[in-house]
Amino acid sequence: MSVDPQDTGIDLGEFLEFYLLDSQEQIERLGSGLLDLEKQGNNITLINDLFRSAHSLKGASGTMGFTPIVMLTHAAEDLLDRLRQGDAVVNMRMIDTLLEVTDRVKLMLDQVRQGAEITVEFNDLAGALKTLIQGIGQEEPAGMAPADRAAERQGNQGVLSRDFALTAMEGESISNALVLGRNVWQIDVDFSSEAVMKSVRAVMVIQKAENMGTLLKTAPGRETIEAENSAKISLLLISDETANEIQEEIMTISELSAVHIYPHSGTASVDKDTEEGGQDAETGATMDKSAQVEEASPQAVAPRTALPAAADQSKNSAPVQTIRVDTARMDNLINMAGEMVITRTRLVQIGQDLKNTYPNDHQVSQLNETNMYLGRLMNDLQEGIMRLRMVPIGTVFSRFPRLVRDLAHKTEKEISLDISGEETELDKTVVEVIGDPIMHLIRNSVDHGVETPDERQAAGKPTEGRICLDAYHEGNHIVILISDDGHGLNLEKIKTKAIEKGLIDEREELSERETANLIFLPGFSTADQVTDISGRGVGMDVVKKALNNLGGSIDIDTRLGKGTTFTIRLPLTLAIIQALLVDVGEEIYAVPLSSVLETLLVEKANVKSVGNVPMIQLRGNTLPMISLRQKFEVPEHENEDANLCVVVVGLGEKAFGLIVDELRGQQEIVIKSLGDHLNNLPGIAGATILGDGKVTLILDIGALIQEMVAKQRKNLT
Amino acid sequence: MEEQLVTFNLGTEEFGVDIMKVQEIIRIPAITRVPKAPAYIEGVINLRGNIIPVVDLRTRFHMPANADTDLSRIVVLQMEKRVFGVRVDAVNEVLRLSEENIEPPPPIAVGMEEHFIRNVGKVGDRILILINTDQIMDEEFADEIAV
Repeated sequence: MSVDPQDTGIDLGEFLEFYLLDSQEQIERLGSGLLDLEKQGNNITLINDLFRSAHSLKGASGTMGFTPIVMLTHAAEDLLDRLRQGDAVVNMRMIDTLLEVTDRVKLMLDQVRQGAEITVEFNDLAGALKTLIQGIGQEEPAGMAPADRAAERQGNQGVLSRDFALTAMEGESISNALVLGRNVWQIDVDFSSEAVMKSVRAVMVIQKAENMGTLLKTAPGRETIEAENSAKISLLLISDETANEIQEEIMTISELSAVHIYPHSGTASVDKDTEEGGQDAETGATMDKSAQVEEASPQAVAPRTALPAAADQSKNSAPVQTIRVDTARMDNLINMAGEMVITRTRLVQIGQDLKNTYPNDHQVSQLNETNMYLGRLMNDLQEGIMRLRMVPIGTVFSRFPRLVRDLAHKTEKEISLDISGEETELDKTVVEVIGDPIMHLIRNSVDHGVETPDERQAAGKPTEGRICLDAYHEGNHIVILISDDGHGLNLEKIKTKAIEKGLIDEREELSERETANLIFLPGFSTADQVTDISGRGVGMDVVKKALNNLGGSIDIDTRLGKGTTFTIRLPLTLAIIQALLVDVGEEIYAVPLSSVLETLLVEKANVKSVGNVPMIQLRGNTLPMISLRQKFEVPEHENEDANLCVVVVGLGEKAFGLIVDELRGQQEIVIKSLGDHLNNLPGIAGATILGDGKVTLILDIGALIQEMVAKQRKNLT
Repeated sequence: MEEQLVTFNLGTEEFGVDIMKVQEIIRIPAITRVPKAPAYIEGVINLRGNIIPVVDLRTRFHMPANADTDLSRIVVLQMEKRVFGVRVDAVNEVLRLSEENIEPPPPIAVGMEEHFIRNVGKVGDRILILINTDQIMDEEFADEIAV
């Protein structure tokens, strides 16, 4: 099964991408499934799903020749197999070990992705799994009476997956059936020795089987069965019926001595793994006509076919109608759509020119009408492409249950994480970058927010703390809430600390909200202890900065003793924004409209300079201003106007004026990166391409405000 | 090993870059100045919907600035995933240089910082300065940003 990539002579490169995507998915499924398993205990449906994920991961890795992944997943699969056979009950150690497996495999996949040799150690983990598996035999599993167990053992004894000599195509139909959640049964039928005309019985069995599903293969072959009187036949049946149903149906035929039904993995003829004997006979129903085990048998089977998770399964196995597309291809599409818009603008220009030259020409009018229609189509196209980039935020949220679980263990707290709004969609570019800020806030909630069980009990709260993660749309924004029911922020302490660190003045009167927001100032930390979980307290300002860079904001609501809620607001897409275009000298800049409060025409005489910062009075408040010309060292250009054009911009409660030469108007722009080289320039968030094909820079209002505030503070001191 | 190069001029000097690094050669389009960027970054251009920086090689190599001519071009270089343009006075030709005509850079280079020079090539009596393309946008650049 494991194929050395060197020997195949096929270029595996192009499969690698698919392999990585698929494996990533399986690993994530395993990870979240294990967490569910931890919560739900011995849920057999879940264990079966996990087993299937591990199995397909192993298979795919084998095909690609990544032996370490195969070894590790094989060991995990063995453990899961024992679990689904009901040989043991899931315990914490198993979950921990299996989670560790997912972590290791992730590391290995990272190495694969980087084209490196897999060097991640796996023998220790494989050993640990083996120890767990060996441990299973020692202790009797709970929930199954020894007598039942013994009976089952006996029933399964000596059973081997029969070699059906499957062709590749048959193998494929089996794996397809398994993927679709159908059952593949190996049915062994023994005829009574005194039965006359065994072949007739055999044909009857075959007919019954055909009525219950797709009969894939028989052993011996159909003709042999019909021609000879075989004492024992085996069938391979793909069916939706359970083992019990099939068994009952077949047992209606007389003169059969025994019918054994086992799930078939479809790989028996090629896969050595399944030839390990009785252990691999997996779930199965055994009925011995003479032994009258009808009573015992269903009992042994009962825990496996238990129904509670049936609903879960239908949710999980619902086919998802999606395709995977490389994001680079999508970006390319967006670029091309953008280019088309630009080209259309030229067409419109030509149309206008033609109209001026031939005002009464019918064909020119038609050209212009067609142009207009084209414009509408282009808009739809662009919007459609943008929609392609929308992904549910659940892809980010899915990694947090594990995080909270691990952190809770580490801090010896009891914490449950409630996630809602996973289906809320937002642009892929946003999804890619919000993971870290959210993770930091969650770490913070676990570490500093939720109290220890003792403290909680003392405060009259349930010992288990709750962290809620929620997301929903609000206009053109997505709102993400991270709340905990911990002890809330100690505002007094925050204020004292801020004064201590010289971040605020002692006399400064701050509202509760303003005080809480002090924790976002650079270099602020209230944790008396520096822990490795929420770090050294350098994080909160980084979180705020990261969100500001995305055009988003963060706010805190905290109640002492009740908990803290962080509210993050982010634009749905980073790719398209409304912008106000302004002229400065010969240059054009784009100001994100979301931060524009108003535009003013101000007489130069009304501008006062305070500590080198120009200011004006606006409705009784002083408004500091920045001259873009000075700030960006725009080459000098005559501006003899007595009036200044001022764009008032603001984020949160801070506002300031941008002095520009002229307003060009409002336009929808596609934000593009300036690339790695120019990513971090002060005051510039990115660039866009205007209708004439020229590049225009987009202002980073957040950064300009920060700079302004810093400057003012400096002036004050 | 034989090398295939694209050669171009800056003033009287002749330079060569590895042809594998050259994505394309274009006429000078509208260049948007980027405030606060390092001096040798002349600005950014729109290359079929992608925004790429353009380095003025004269500034980078500490040569006096020069007005555009009809011959001025931007050589678009691609290194791994990074794409950027370098502005040159004129593009000359594509040529092959055999190993014996490639020499290590002289200890004292022609006013250019050494790390920009990978090798020196000889074609008849012409001397080619083979540029270390990795260095054009590197290291120092990060420093200047930090300042």
